Amino acid sequence: MSLFSELLVIIKSVLAQDPWALKSALRSDASWLLGFFVAFGGGGAIAFLYKRLPVLDKYLERLFMVCSYLSIALIIFWGVIDRFVFSNQQPWSTTIPPLLFMIMAWFGATYNVRLRAHLSFSEFRSRMGRTGQFACLCLDNALWMGFAIIVIVTTFKAVVLSASNFQIVLGTDNVMQWWFLATAPLAFILMAARVIENFTEDYSNFRNDRPLLKQTVIGGDA
Amino acid sequence: MTDASVITLISLGVTALFMLGVPVFLVIAAWVVGCSAVLGLTLDNMGAELLNVFNKGFALLAMPLFILTGDLINKSGIARRLSDFAYACLGWLRGGLAMASLGACGLFAAISGSNSATTATIGSMLHPEMVKGGYDERFSAATAAAGGTVGIIIPPSIIFIVYGFLLNLPISDLFVAGILPGALMVIGMQLACWIVCQLNGWGHLIQFQFNRALKTAFGAWLGFFAIGLVLWGIYTGKFSPTEAAGVTVGFCIIAGLVSWGVNKIAGLDMTKSWEEKSYPEMLVVEGFTLKDIPGITMRSAQITGVLAPLIAISVVMQQILSLLGAQVFITDFLTGLGGYYPVLFAAMAIVFISGMVLESLPVTIILAPILAPVAAGIGVDPIHFSVIFLVGASIGFITPPYGLNLYVASGVTGVAYFRLLKYTVPYLIALISVWIVVALVPEISLTMLPAR
Repeated sequence: MSLFSELLVIIKSVLAQDPWALKSALRSDASWLLGFFVAFGGGGAIAFLYKRLPVLDKYLERLFMVCSYLSIALIIFWGVIDRFVFSNQQPWSTTIPPLLFMIMAWFGATYNVRLRAHLSFSEFRSRMGRTGQFACLCLDNALWMGFAIIVIVTTFKAVVLSASNFQIVLGTDNVMQWWFLATAPLAFILMAARVIENFTEDYSNFRNDRPLLKQTVIGGDA
Repeated sequence: MTDASVITLISLGVTALFMLGVPVFLVIAAWVVGCSAVLGLTLDNMGAELLNVFNKGFALLAMPLFILTGDLINKSGIARRLSDFAYACLGWLRGGLAMASLGACGLFAAISGSNSATTATIGSMLHPEMVKGGYDERFSAATAAAGGTVGIIIPPSIIFIVYGFLLNLPISDLFVAGILPGALMVIGMQLACWIVCQLNGWGHLIQFQFNRALKTAFGAWLGFFAIGLVLWGIYTGKFSPTEAAGVTVGFCIIAGLVSWGVNKIAGLDMTKSWEEKSYPEMLVVEGFTLKDIPGITMRSAQITGVLAPLIAISVVMQQILSLLGAQVFITDFLTGLGGYYPVLFAAMAIVFISGMVLESLPVTIILAPILAPVAAGIGVDPIHFSVIFLVGASIGFITPPYGLNLYVASGVTGVAYFRLLKYTVPYLIALISVWIVVALVPEISLTMLPAR
């Protein structure tokens, strides 16, 4: 089968909402092609949306991060009160928070790509000329995009595997694990959008003689 | 070309990426992807692991919660009260303000669990006052950077949580084992600070007043209560470390909201210094409103968004290193040295050198599962070795070229990275001395543990 016909099989399985068929279809190399299209196409579309709707640009990842963070704190805090005061404990109070942590971690990673807040040794880069700095920023963007494609594909496979096995969150009767896991490929599609945004910003800064490297601010805005 | 040669080339390539300023996360990810390709491993394992790391245990959740605690005590004004108390106790000594900032780091670390949060909070709060107080700005920035190292030794500690999670050790025992070594680190750095300030004549002296110490201690009661709550809960086994973190977050939110409400209702002036406040006014801190909480949480989420992905990718790197036989190689090398002390000091040297070029979280995730079994094999208590390992990893926060606290201190104080390096040397000497003492005297780490 050609790469494009394998791609069609994947798309048909997605549309049919059949996790078993999708799991088999994703074994083909076309999954990487799909990942490439999703990262550039989806990421590009979201980057365009960010430009049109600045409120999304500013608050989309933040919403996921803050909601999941506060939910973790609330569930654990209430779990202790529930145990000591009411001699009771919800069985899901220790299984849902790790999944929320995963959501927060990957949306946080995405947001930090936009802020360029990931830890790095930038002493040599800051002493380079403009062209060197621009080349380094392009290298960062290329590596982030490559990594985003890999993770979109591989985590999507893990999500499909979880869905096809009907994995339920421990301590619950009907909460499916894949509902939470599906946020990881989504976070990496948003990361692809952030990479496209960063690249256009870097290119514009380079063309217009504006400073290329900025001081990272933890707690700053996108 | 053999696999070994290609992997060596990949390792050199990612080192070049690191030197070019590519984020550490991407450097490790590039290595993982490259090695997986050479070894013929499917990348699906990496994708699954990036999801599963967070799902493997409840314990790792303490990390984001203790980071949030740090931001909450900072925003509520509790951290300021703790530093006022530290200054009231130590201001009469030469270099008192610098020593107080180290003491404040210790107190802050006892509620939060993060080195960078400790450096950022205490550095931004006390650096301007130290400069005004006649200290060299480079020394002041170096003090904030060095003080932050205790953030991961004095419990609660993010890296102890990761260490316990990886090696399946009781995190509460690790926390208790860190208390005395952490206190020793603070004292050692204060001694170094005192000597440097004596030699340079830095700092203005204030007279020790019992009333001042008493009033600031009273004002810091919320901070002491939070410290007591964490230690009591963990030490008595009432809560797991994760639950202790959740309870502390809840306590800090309630304390912040109630304080703000009381200030508003009673019409108290929140801008007054502690000297101008009466004892009843000192009962509450500045606090924050409900509207402030998302902003505070966002800041913590951003820090977690840097550290948590780094943990996930480092776990994958560790798995590949195991497949490559790194564990066997290092174990053979260390055991080949023979004897308790050669092995112990060689392991410490590996941690120290790795800490110079890598962030402490990857150092812990990659090296702890390799070195801990070797140490256990020569008879080092696993809890004792965890403290030795992590004190060494914490020193890595102020060792160039990659000393995270140096970057944080440089960021919050505005002193250039390379300018403050020289002033960290006295603190490095003090910390290394304490590290050796902690390694040679297991009782320092083990004496406070419940009967084992």
